[in-house]
Amino acid sequence: MNCEVCQLKELELEQFEIREVLRCILHTILFHRALGLVRPKDVDLELFDITYAQCGEDELEKKVDDKIEQFMSWVEKHPNKKSQICLSFYEVKNKHASWFSNKIERLYWEQWYINLNVTQHPKAHSNKSHHSKVADPGEGVLEDRKARSAVLESSLREVLFQIIKFVDEKKDHVPPIPSLERVITFPFEITIPSSSDSAFGMDMIKRMLQTGHPTMLS
Amino acid sequence: MASLQNNAHPEPAKMEQIINEFFAKSLHIILESRSLYVSSRNSSCDPTVTSPSSSSSSSPSIRSRNKWFNLALRECPAALENTDLWRQSNLDPIVVDVILMKRQGPASLSPIKDFGRWNADEEEMGVEAKSEKIVERWVLQYESRKAKDSNSSSRRSSNNSCSLYKKLILLLRSLYASVRLLPAHKIFRDLNSSGQVLTFTLFHRVSSFAEPFNRKEDAEMLKFGFTPVDTSCGRLCLSVKYRPSVSDVSSESSTPISPRLITDYIGSPLTEPLRRYPSSGLPSHGSPSSLPFSRRHSWSFDRCRASPPSIVSSPSPTHSEPRTSVSNVGSRRFPPSSLPPHPPEMSIGQKNKTFDEYYPSPIMSPSPSPSPPIYSHGFLLSRALKRSESAPVNIPTANVANCPKNAHRHDLLPSPSRTDRGLNMIQYGATAEKLSSLGRDESKRSSGLTASHALPQISFSRCSSRSYQDDSEDHDFTCPFDVDDVDMIDPSSRPGALDHVHMGEMLETGGLYPIRLSQDAAVGALVHMLKKAPPLRQDSCTSEEFSEGATPQTYSINTREDTQIQESPILSSMTSSGFLTRRTTAEALEEFQGYKEMKNSLLMPGSKPCS
Repeated sequence: MNCEVCQLKELELEQFEIREVLRCILHTILFHRALGLVRPKDVDLELFDITYAQCGEDELEKKVDDKIEQFMSWVEKHPNKKSQICLSFYEVKNKHASWFSNKIERLYWEQWYINLNVTQHPKAHSNKSHHSKVADPGEGVLEDRKARSAVLESSLREVLFQIIKFVDEKKDHVPPIPSLERVITFPFEITIPSSSDSAFGMDMIKRMLQTGHPTMLS
Repeated sequence: MASLQNNAHPEPAKMEQIINEFFAKSLHIILESRSLYVSSRNSSCDPTVTSPSSSSSSSPSIRSRNKWFNLALRECPAALENTDLWRQSNLDPIVVDVILMKRQGPASLSPIKDFGRWNADEEEMGVEAKSEKIVERWVLQYESRKAKDSNSSSRRSSNNSCSLYKKLILLLRSLYASVRLLPAHKIFRDLNSSGQVLTFTLFHRVSSFAEPFNRKEDAEMLKFGFTPVDTSCGRLCLSVKYRPSVSDVSSESSTPISPRLITDYIGSPLTEPLRRYPSSGLPSHGSPSSLPFSRRHSWSFDRCRASPPSIVSSPSPTHSEPRTSVSNVGSRRFPPSSLPPHPPEMSIGQKNKTFDEYYPSPIMSPSPSPSPPIYSHGFLLSRALKRSESAPVNIPTANVANCPKNAHRHDLLPSPSRTDRGLNMIQYGATAEKLSSLGRDESKRSSGLTASHALPQISFSRCSSRSYQDDSEDHDFTCPFDVDDVDMIDPSSRPGALDHVHMGEMLETGGLYPIRLSQDAAVGALVHMLKKAPPLRQDSCTSEEFSEGATPQTYSINTREDTQIQESPILSSMTSSGFLTRRTTAEALEEFQGYKEMKNSLLMPGSKPCS
């Protein structure tokens, strides 16, 4: 089975925007891949004038939020860095029981790369360290922020459209829907940059051991 | 899905069923987030309607239909109705136009959804209202392949129903997401947020063919075509043309109105710009389906209350409502003619009745919608606000134009119309809570007196709301909304009697006159009205008789003599005292007794020569 890969357009955003943006993107993808009986839930973003659909599964929501939190803490430690989050869908196949008898193989059939460029702008910084200064940011700063926010909003919209188009164009690789009555029809995983950045090599090995599939390293 | 796994049906039948359901579902997805009739957002506020399956009202067939493509949607009457229509049409294409309309257009627009019909009406609309704009056009069609290549291609695409079903699930997921991403969704969102009064609205037309865009329009539209899905003998195509920017419309006209403004609406110049809001004329704008949710509530109220016989039980109120109201309007139309002014007693009597009989019951009941009360609250407050804001300008004319018709009608119809009653109630609500207690204090004669003092303001606020409405439409749509506004009256204020002193203060400070008319002009208007007023029947001091006096019959029976004699005291007392210098019950009573004697003495000698 071929694995389709979608590289989403890079988004430049500030730290406080990460949560909403990631939620929006991840849920939009998952909504397109949760092919069980779904009762969609509309969510309006707070920072942007965008509405996205969510599957309305608590479990799924929690999984996404947990990953986002992990990513946020990674970003805290690694500011001003481009980063990539990968959402992969796979099928589980029992490997031929010869060498590693109990090993379960994951067959990845689709991967989505969310590319983020988390930046720190002066305002955001002062916001955090000097609370008293929040009230009087220069007008230029405000304008600047507004403009950046508008840019991010339209880029985010583009990314969402990118997802829709990808889903629309590529349908053949999606495995048949299992007859199980589950909303999340296909297992997935969300990979974030590892927290142990220094031990990158170690992480790679770990991941290889877990998945037996090194292609997802970026 | 269940039907797919059932192999009893031959493949072609299954295919056809899938295609049918795909059309239905697509339409549902589109209309669900474009049709304002039932907004998913609003209903999501109501815990009972959060999920489609939890809605007990839905029939099993609807529920099972809802599971198609593993996408359970909220109920959408507009979609349901159109789907049912479409099912009879044997795989015709479906074209859904989502139209943005500014509300200052003429009144006679109505959305046409009947298949094959809207072309003619479209022309009409084009003439009448330039302010509508197609912001989205969805085209959904099944292209059947020609017979000769159907065999080969069906083999090539190897479409079994399961794979087709999966693809359609995916397509519908994409559709669902994209409907929310397109610019029109922002309008839909804005229209659904209760805090805003907008001068535009959305409605949709579902048709079986598309009227081509002109070149300019075409150039403005972007197109997004979903990848067609092949079936064994054709393919399913779904595409949308949309305007990339609708912000010019939606941004210019949104005016956030917060309900708390109600406290200082009186005479506030700040709020005046809102007066011109054409949105007050919106019910006539043909698309009740596009009305904000909360307003529909009022509509249904209107229908139930004012014109039960003309309720059309169509599943889509979109159509039935305008007609209902129009048929209804016959009795309620107030041509701006110069009929005699509204007799004060009428209103007083109505007020009394209003609070006694109708206040507690009718508030929310007839609404079939899951509208959360809080919504209507905010909304109605803002309606009230608008109404009163408009008061400053054309009070006297409006007063003359509208109020008398009430009296007129009451002569014809023995029982006063509920809408009118509701109207009075809203005026109370809109004016001040204190006023709301007026009708309550029946046992005292003075309440009537005070009420008549309040009357000018009351009539003004109502009439003025009509006055600009008349510009755009003939129908009296004010009333139904007013009925709902009963909500606004704090029940706690009901039993309390009017604080006369406070009233006086309000009057003096112009509080009750939200009007920038001079005091004199106001007095003039009042005098004019009182001149035409029927007698107050001071020989009856009890409340029953008083309220009886307010009924139309009594009014019409009154002799001219009575009228003339009796109105003068009030008149003089008001004009000379600046309305409210002596305002206690005792004083009023005393005064009236005096005038009664005077009247008797006048009548006695007058009758003698005649006999």
